[in-house]
Amino acid sequence: MTFDQHLVLWLLGLPLLAAVVIASLGPQRGILIRRISVGVSLLSLAMALLLAVRFANLERAGLHDTGSTSVLPGTFAPEFVPGSTVASPHSTNWTILSLGPGSIHFYLGVDGLSIWLIVLTALLLLPCVLVSWTHVTERVNEFYAWLMILQVCMIGVFLSFDILLFYVFFEVSLVPLFFMIGIWGGPERQYAARKFFVYTLTGSMLTLLGMLWVVLACHQQTKVLTFSIPQLVQLVQSQLADPTTRPFWSTVQLGVFLLLTAGFAIKVPLMPFHTWLPLAHVEAPTAGSVALAGVLLKVGAYGFLRLCIPLAPDVSLSLGLPLLTGLAAAGVIYGAFTAFAQDDIKRLVAYSSVSHLGLCMLGMFSLTAVGLSGSLMQMINHGLSTGLLFLLVGMLYERYHTRKISDFGGMATRMPLYACCLVFTCLSSVGLPGLNGFVGEVMCIFGIARHEWSIAGRFPILAVAACTGLILGAWYLFTMLRGVLFGPVKEPEHHGHAIPDMLPREWAAVAPLALVCVLIGFYPQPILRTMEPDVQTVARITSLARTRASEQANAEGTSVAVQDETEKR
Amino acid sequence: MSEVFSYLWLIPALPLLAATVTAFFGPRFLKHNSHWPCVASVALSALLSFAVFFAVRGTFHEGPPPLGERANTVFKTYYTWFEAGTPGTPDHLQVGLTLRADPLTAIMLITVTFIGLLIAIYSIGYMHDDPGYPRFFAAVALFITSMTLLVLGDNFLVLFAGWEGVGLCSYLLIGFWYSKPAAAAAARKAFLVTRIGDAGMLLGISLLWFKCGSLQYDAVFATLPALKAAQATEPWLLTAICLLLFCGAAGKSAQFPLHVWLPDAMEGPTPVSALIHAATMVTAGVYLVARCTPLFSAAPDAQLVVACIGGFTALLAALIALTQTDLKRVLAYSTLSQLGYMFLALGSAVALEDGAEQPLVILAVTAAIFHLHTHAFFKALLFLSAGSVMHAMGGVIDMRKFSGLKKVMPTTRWTFLCGAVALAGLPIFSGFWSKDEILAAAYEASHVSKPFGGVYIVLFLAGLITAGLTSFYTFRAYFMTFEGEEKIPHEAGHHAHESPPVMTVPLQILAFFALFIGLILGPTHLFGGFLEKTPDLPKTVEEGHNWILMLGSTLFALAGTGLAYYFYLLKPALPALLATRLQGLYQLSYNKFYIDDLYDFFIVKPLVGAADFTRIFDKVVVDSLVDVVGEMPPLVGALLRPLQNGLVQYYAVTMMIGLTMLLIALARS
Repeated sequence: MTFDQHLVLWLLGLPLLAAVVIASLGPQRGILIRRISVGVSLLSLAMALLLAVRFANLERAGLHDTGSTSVLPGTFAPEFVPGSTVASPHSTNWTILSLGPGSIHFYLGVDGLSIWLIVLTALLLLPCVLVSWTHVTERVNEFYAWLMILQVCMIGVFLSFDILLFYVFFEVSLVPLFFMIGIWGGPERQYAARKFFVYTLTGSMLTLLGMLWVVLACHQQTKVLTFSIPQLVQLVQSQLADPTTRPFWSTVQLGVFLLLTAGFAIKVPLMPFHTWLPLAHVEAPTAGSVALAGVLLKVGAYGFLRLCIPLAPDVSLSLGLPLLTGLAAAGVIYGAFTAFAQDDIKRLVAYSSVSHLGLCMLGMFSLTAVGLSGSLMQMINHGLSTGLLFLLVGMLYERYHTRKISDFGGMATRMPLYACCLVFTCLSSVGLPGLNGFVGEVMCIFGIARHEWSIAGRFPILAVAACTGLILGAWYLFTMLRGVLFGPVKEPEHHGHAIPDMLPREWAAVAPLALVCVLIGFYPQPILRTMEPDVQTVARITSLARTRASEQANAEGTSVAVQDETEKR
Repeated sequence: MSEVFSYLWLIPALPLLAATVTAFFGPRFLKHNSHWPCVASVALSALLSFAVFFAVRGTFHEGPPPLGERANTVFKTYYTWFEAGTPGTPDHLQVGLTLRADPLTAIMLITVTFIGLLIAIYSIGYMHDDPGYPRFFAAVALFITSMTLLVLGDNFLVLFAGWEGVGLCSYLLIGFWYSKPAAAAAARKAFLVTRIGDAGMLLGISLLWFKCGSLQYDAVFATLPALKAAQATEPWLLTAICLLLFCGAAGKSAQFPLHVWLPDAMEGPTPVSALIHAATMVTAGVYLVARCTPLFSAAPDAQLVVACIGGFTALLAALIALTQTDLKRVLAYSTLSQLGYMFLALGSAVALEDGAEQPLVILAVTAAIFHLHTHAFFKALLFLSAGSVMHAMGGVIDMRKFSGLKKVMPTTRWTFLCGAVALAGLPIFSGFWSKDEILAAAYEASHVSKPFGGVYIVLFLAGLITAGLTSFYTFRAYFMTFEGEEKIPHEAGHHAHESPPVMTVPLQILAFFALFIGLILGPTHLFGGFLEKTPDLPKTVEEGHNWILMLGSTLFALAGTGLAYYFYLLKPALPALLATRLQGLYQLSYNKFYIDDLYDFFIVKPLVGAADFTRIFDKVVVDSLVDVVGEMPPLVGALLRPLQNGLVQYYAVTMMIGLTMLLIALARS
């Protein structure tokens, strides 16, 4: 095995090992546990970064040799696959379960769609560990063990290239979060944990059906039983290229699209499937909120990008585009309005996620190359900005034990450095150029606008909604800033003990994320360039779907015309 | 080609460095020396800007440019900011961090950095014992960075980056004294109102990208023939692009209906009002429209809107300025009005049918940029003088509370007077030349624009009336503040004195420019001759001045001044009498035509209401629906539960019934 393959395995293995060690240490040895956690998070960040650098430097030019002349688009080609051979570097022979003609593989790898989300996941672990330092005092070992397991699951989702393995990680990630909310959460934690678990589980059950449907449909048509995502994508594409099999696949695609969407739309969450999110966020401990907003929500959007669009491209175009962009645009506006009316800052941030991810989905389901890149960028940026927001809100809560905007006022006078951080984060969240949010937002808006401008005579209602989202985003965040930070000092009761400004531990949690925000703002090109080939793969799939759709429309048009002529005769 | 062009990037980068240094080291290490990085970097940027100016001039005499290059323009691409999409297809977006130096940019650079430098120096005195001293200079340096990036950028998104950056600095500096609720509210308002315009602008940029495939100015303007051809099927195309871009310009330059943030922005420190809200940032919109002259001049409908909004804002703001008692607010409304003038000029740039020579376009654009330039000097001067008064009066800025300050503050009085004569447009001073050009452009447009000639005549008359109103309110402010009986508010205490030299010297320098820059650059044709070398602007045809027009506008300006003299020095009781007689009109003007109240009632309140509604809707409808679905399985279970009651007899009966039914079914089959 190569060094890179070891890295991929250890990205999963290290937190898993740490979870076992931490859990076995017992609740009394808090300091040791926290130190181990910091060490593990630093190490995984280092590994993720190293992997990203090595991946970015990889020559992946051969990926698109077929060029646009080929009928078949490429499929995903994961790199650094453990268990791959020289002959087939993008697939594995590590079998989990053999099922006669095919088998479920332990198929891990990295490609442009996932690499930066993996780095984001690793990056957010350190702040999660640090903000729980004094916040979590009971059953410390369990908390940090669950946190590590959550990390395993989230990285696992992004690393998986076997559809069932993907599903397992996708599903298991609910468990650690369920316990984190249910044990260390706020007053309504049990209700919140149950709702979160049952709601998202229901969705993902449907997703599983959709996944199996694709696998079985492929098996039925081609006699190949495979669970490998790249291979499934390839099979579906070749089937779609053949006009004789299209009628069969149009039904399958519809079902698959609806089932996959059921799970992913809840996870994203798209309006109106979002109501578990504010509740879970409000009740979750800060680390849980950060992981939830930063990474777990991305799993939904990532699922659309990785599975839904490639496996059901025609329906994604004909049904998904109008349906999901409509919901996403409504969510942009609706989330923003609802966020404005909240008095609890955490709830406000939760609803802002609905709005921001609406923009992300708008970009993605514009099904243009620019929009797809934008949505992936927006996922990363939302993880950073919203992660930061939750961290900062958590710090405020730790000091005053309240999160109501109306309880605060003039905090900039009391905690100037904290105020700087909060203003900075809000600016990143509203998409100020020079910070991370801008690039993703612009590309999403351009993507959806491109789609709409290209339809003659259409008023660009979705693009207008996206732009309105920019205004409304500034509206609720800046109103919150004015209420909490500015004006005369108004402090909630804090029982006499001194309120410190940012502590060194808190700086260590916030500063790396803030630095990344600035870096992405000024020079996002390394990220965009690395993800480009794989975004192109998805874009090619959608453009082929467009071609098929227009061919079909033409065919129908001519047949109608022929019919007209025969009637005239 | 000059060496200077290799260092273009330093113009925004130096202040950025200063801002970073001041932000990180200011509060702890630099403290009262925090102004040094800012002042030094802006001074260097100003020097570089002058060097760029002369280097651009130097290119005029070089022969025709080599293939693939534009005359009188230099581009420097530093790196690709971001790139996405499929190369080689229209679905591709590439934004390079490209800077550009051409005559228009050079003029803007000098205006920004030179005035910025003077204001930074002035601020050393003005802000000297403020606890937020480092924060102030960090924000000012960041502002210079963003503003120079805005004018240097060679594509719409780099411009947009600078555009949002100046908006941020405006937010930070308006809310500088954040513990004042009014300042916090004004900062938020400024950011939000301008962002409404920005959202429209971004949409316009997306349309440009879709139609032109690029966002670089030259590439966009090169596709103009194609855009015009596309008008055959989509007649709204150019008008839509221009109006969407103009949304952004109207927001940033505070034109009606997005003008409401600028007067409130006066809550910020006075140097900020001078730098951002008078001299530079608010002129970004004018710059944008001037930069896009090829697009706008090809869209007469859009131009009509630009001109009407400009003319209307000019008149409206001048009417409001008549009755304001806060000295800074008078100046703020005056800024609105003067910006309206600039847009009136830009909107007059209507292309003739077709032809290489477009005398009206270049006349109008030159007029707007020239007025931008002179206005920057005299309005910055007026604001800084007002700040000097405020400094001496212990923070009081209500003109009813002080008067006759000419003895106490002789230097400030003279500098304010210099600014006043320039703003009022009295002959030979700066405002006179630039304002006349604007009126001439509007007048010309009424001849050239065939379908809308009548409208332009009305706009021209509005401009003329505004000229009279301007000189009236300017001198009203001057007479109320510096002439008459000496009155000093008690807030001033015993330290009502002239400001220190660090403040008065910049004032005197600005005063010189405010008086004479128009005379030096205007009638000599230096300004127009330089600006017309900008690529994509049509070339000038030498034209004489319209003497009758100049006479007319002079008469209006003098009448305004005379009237102010009569009202506020000869018959000081008259204004109050007039105000009671014309109570309705007075209240209308004093309350800013109730526009803020109308917005509050018709826009803000409904939006807040809608937000509350969605919050309740989310809780009561959406979430309850989920809960109802969630209750389904237990409900079904509850329905079936009585069946499992544990009574053996009951089970036996059901078994019997089942068995019977089975038997019947079997028998019948």
